Amino acid sequence: MMASNVPIAGDDFRVGFRMQKAWGVHMATAFFFGEAGAGLYFVSQFFDFVTGMTVGLLMVLFGKAGGHLLHLGQPLRGWRALTKVRSSWVSRGLLAIVVFAVAGALHLLDVRSPFLPGAVSELVSAVALLACFVIMVYQGFAMSHSSAITLWNTGLMPIASLIYALLNGVLLTLVLGFNTPFLAADGEAVRLLQAAAIALMLLGLVTVLSMLHGARYGSEAGRAAVGLLLRGRFARWFIPLVIGLGFVVSALMMALAPRQFAWMLAVSGAQLAGYYAFRVLMFKAGAYDPVTGSAPRFRR
Amino acid sequence: MAKWGMVFDLRRCIGCNACAVACKQENSLPNGVFFTKTLSEEVGEYPHATRTYIPTICNHCEDAPCERVCPTGATWTRADGIVMVDRDKCIGCGSCIVACPYDQRTRLEPEMLQQGLFGNGRLTPFEEQGLTRFTVGTVVKCTFCHERVDAGQEPACVATCPTEARIFGDLDDAQSRVRQLIQEHRARQPLADKNTNPRVFYID
Ligand code: SF4
Ligand code: SF4
Repeated sequence: MMASNVPIAGDDFRVGFRMQKAWGVHMATAFFFGEAGAGLYFVSQFFDFVTGMTVGLLMVLFGKAGGHLLHLGQPLRGWRALTKVRSSWVSRGLLAIVVFAVAGALHLLDVRSPFLPGAVSELVSAVALLACFVIMVYQGFAMSHSSAITLWNTGLMPIASLIYALLNGVLLTLVLGFNTPFLAADGEAVRLLQAAAIALMLLGLVTVLSMLHGARYGSEAGRAAVGLLLRGRFARWFIPLVIGLGFVVSALMMALAPRQFAWMLAVSGAQLAGYYAFRVLMFKAGAYDPVTGSAPRFRR
Repeated sequence: MAKWGMVFDLRRCIGCNACAVACKQENSLPNGVFFTKTLSEEVGEYPHATRTYIPTICNHCEDAPCERVCPTGATWTRADGIVMVDRDKCIGCGSCIVACPYDQRTRLEPEMLQQGLFGNGRLTPFEEQGLTRFTVGTVVKCTFCHERVDAGQEPACVATCPTEARIFGDLDDAQSRVRQLIQEHRARQPLADKNTNPRVFYID
């Protein structure tokens, strides 16, 4: 029997691929809010768009932190995850969330009614942006550092995180800022954001397809995972939602979009649905190699 | 200080899974939790088809990815190489589970401790005493039966194996049986390409 014929063994006492089940929908939801919220804050801060920054901060604080708390087996001890910043991306991410919460909130208060001295104000704003950036990428690093799961074990994973976060940020900024003086008075900014969204969608599509290509040739488990996403039991979600709605349809809609609020809302909805599906399906399709590896058993 | 390791002799294993049963008994493992499993596989085609057995266990990896990714320090390695989980520090984030290439870790879900081994929601006295060893929401895995090892005994799976397919010993001792078997048979580590340097070896 060739390794490619090895079955998905589930919990059976058989040699085969095993699917990871440790990270599921709660974790995917936390990742979703983390990258969408941080992306929104990041893009909004460049435009000094206070509503966007506020919503982005709240999405990280409640959506991301809430998802993580629901996921943890012992949520009351969650603070302990701050203790291994030197080696664990989960620790680094939690530290970034704490710093972002404090610096982001201070910056927002300062923007509304300035109270910090000039240099301190700039420092706080820079720290918030830096922590926000870490939140935009660290989830990708947390996944890519798992050599156990070939589908995740790629340097493209943090890049995908960054692209998705920026894309979410751009689209949510367009939606939230549409009828506000910030965008209504600045047609140039709208055009810039629309062009950025289309570019990020194309870049995201290429990145996701490259990840699948890499996983397919990375190991037998990688090939099995890609098979599940493109032909197997997840294909009916992955292809129409992640590829179709999340990239192709939303890019076409954005390219043809009249400058209407409803249209922007529809594009954002399509892209965010695709992104959420990406997060869930990346977890669901994570497969471990059989313990015997891809060599024909242990036999010489 | 010894560095404990294990050798699986695939020529001897008959797939009886007495090891898995002994482990469940020794560690009072809840329903659905196994620290060791002997997997089976059909190889070859008729008329040369045969079935082989692959025992699996936590490999107490020297470069353990589960320890590296653990954000709380709950996963740690003893001086004798046994990789442990501190249930008072574990937050059940599952990072170690997705980092372990060997799928050797389990998060204890409430139903695992409530259902009972007979799946009827009632716990036997044996299970009741066993549950005090576990905390819901934390991660568990094989510890090479560290209490037995500290008392000079072999892990329960090794002591039980009727064919002596599991051999336990000090990898740092050139005279130990595990070292000699590894050298004589050019033993292999599972998924060596994952660079975890397992302390479990297979010979065939
Ligand atoms: S086998 Fe898995 S759980 Fe055991 S030490 Fe290695 S990585 Fe950690
Ligand atoms: S589940 Fe527990 S042992 Fe595993 S990484 Fe998280 S805190 Fe560490």
